[in-house]
Amino acid sequence: MAAMTSAEDKRRPAMSFAVGSRLATAAWNAFAVAVALALWQTAAVLIGSPFFPGPIKVAQAFIHLAVHGDISGVSLWSHAWASIERVLVGFGLGVLGGVPLGLLMGLYPSVYARTRAVLEPFRFIPPIAWIPLAIIFFSGLTRFAFLIFLGAFFPIFTSTLVGVARVEPIHRKVGLVHGASKGWILSHVVVPTVLPDILAGMRVGLGAAWLTIVAAELAGGISTGLGRMMTNYAELIQVPEVIVGMLLIGFIGFLMNEVLLLIEKYLFRWRWQVSL
Amino acid sequence: MPQICAHQRPKVEVNASHRYGNLLVHDRLAFAVAQNEFVCICGPSGCGKTTLLDCLAGILKPTLGSVLIDGTPANPKRHSISFVFQEPSTFPWLTVFDNVASGLRIKGAPAAAVTAKVREIIDIVGLTGFEAYYPHQISGGMKQRVAIARAFATDADLILMDEPFVSLDQPTRERMQREVLDIWRRRVRTVIFVTHNIEEAVFLGDRILILSEKPAHIVAELLVPLEHPRDPLSNEFMRLRSECVHWLLPSRASGGVERTADKGRQILADPRV
Repeated sequence: MAAMTSAEDKRRPAMSFAVGSRLATAAWNAFAVAVALALWQTAAVLIGSPFFPGPIKVAQAFIHLAVHGDISGVSLWSHAWASIERVLVGFGLGVLGGVPLGLLMGLYPSVYARTRAVLEPFRFIPPIAWIPLAIIFFSGLTRFAFLIFLGAFFPIFTSTLVGVARVEPIHRKVGLVHGASKGWILSHVVVPTVLPDILAGMRVGLGAAWLTIVAAELAGGISTGLGRMMTNYAELIQVPEVIVGMLLIGFIGFLMNEVLLLIEKYLFRWRWQVSL
Repeated sequence: MPQICAHQRPKVEVNASHRYGNLLVHDRLAFAVAQNEFVCICGPSGCGKTTLLDCLAGILKPTLGSVLIDGTPANPKRHSISFVFQEPSTFPWLTVFDNVASGLRIKGAPAAAVTAKVREIIDIVGLTGFEAYYPHQISGGMKQRVAIARAFATDADLILMDEPFVSLDQPTRERMQREVLDIWRRRVRTVIFVTHNIEEAVFLGDRILILSEKPAHIVAELLVPLEHPRDPLSNEFMRLRSECVHWLLPSRASGGVERTADKGRQILADPRV
C-alpha cells in the first residue's frame, strides 16, 4: 500500500495530516491515559496506603483545591498562574537572549572561540545552584525570571549556535550573486536554516524552565506558585494535593510543548518527514 | 545568432590571475565576451572553472588583474547578473513560486511585477501547476529547472551557468539544453556557460573557450558558425567536436613543457601573483 501510493504522495503539496488520522491519534492517546489511570488505581487499591493515593483521591483533592482553594484560601488557579507567569517571563528572556547571542556567536565563530571560557562554564552551574544568590539579590517575579532565564538560556543558545553551522554556503551564494545585503542573507538564509534548531532548543529550554521554577518555589520566600503549594501540603503529609501539583505541572508543560509543536508543524511544513 | 558589432564595448573583459595560497589557479587568464554572446567554457576538471565564475559574478576578487563588466569591476550589487549553480541551490523552505521569485525580490521588484514575471518564467520551464510545491516534493531535474527559472526571471544581462545539467540524466539534459536555448532566444542576453561536456558546448555556444589544467589559461578558442537548432550528427558538428577533444587532450591542456617552465619562473618572480 505504502509503495503504491508513495509516488503519488510525492506530488501532493503541503503534507497535512488527514482529519480522520488526527482523531484516531487523539483516541489512542485517550485510551493510553485511561489504561495508565486504571493501572494506577489498581496499584493504589492493592497497596492500600494513605501515602499512595489513587487517581480518584487525587481527583477529589483537585476538585477541592479548584473550588475552595488551599489551606490559606489561595485558589489552585492563582498558584498555577503564578508559576506560568514566572515561566513565561523567564523563558521569554531566555529566547530573547539565547537566539541573538547564538546567531552572533555562530556567525562570528572567532568571537565565540575567544570568549567561550567565560560563557561555557555557566552552562554547567545548575540554575538551582543560583538560588541562594537569587534570594539575596532579587525578589518577587525578578528572582524567578532570573533563575528560569538561566535554565532556559543555554539549551536555546547552544542549539542556535549549532544551527548556524548548518547554513549551506550555496544558499548564501545565491543571495550574494543577486546582490543581496548581509541583512537579507541573515533574515532569508540564516534564520530559515536555523529556525528548526531554535525551536528544538526552545522545547528543551521549556523543560529546563519548569524544572527550575518548581525548585525555586520550593526554596520558599513566597506564598504562591505550584511548587509552594506542593511544599505546604508535603509539610502536612497530604499526598493527594502534592500529586495534584505534580500532575498540573506536567499537564501545563505538556500543553506548552504542544503549542510549540504546532508552531513547528506550521513553520516547517517545507521539511520532509523521516520514516524508517 | 546575435549580432556582434566590432566597435561595441565587450560585455565582459577578463584579464586576471588568481591563487589560493600557494596554488595558482588562473595564470593571466584573458578573454572578452561580446554583448549577447553565448560563450561556453570547457576545461579539464579542477581547472578553476568555478573560481572563474565566482570572479565573473563579482563575489570573488581575482588576486591580480581585473574582471570588468560593461567596463567596471564586476559587482553583483551594481551589475545585473544571474547564476545557475552546479549543485542543488533551491531554498528548501520556499515553495517553487517563492524560489523563482527570490532573485527578483532581492532586486526589489514590485510585487505585481514579481507575480507576472514568475508566472511567465514558470510556464516557460514547464513547472506550471507546481508553484505551491516545496523542493523536497519534486524531482532533481525539476529543482534544477526552478534554479534556472530563478536565474532567468531577473532579466539579468549576464547569465553565468556552472555545469547546470551535470546531475541530470541524458534525456532530461538534452531537453534542458533546448529549453535554455529557447529562453535565451526569447530574450537575447550574454551567457557564459561552463561545462566539461564537449557535446554540450558545441550544441549551445557561439564560441568555445578551452582552458588548460591548473594554472589555467586559454589554450584554444573555437567559433561555432552553426545555426540553431544544431544537429549533433552533422559533419560540421562532428568536426568541431573532435577539434575540442583534440585541444582537451592532457598533453595540450597542461600547456606543454616550455609553457610550464615559463610559468614556474613567473610564479617565483612575482610574489603578488
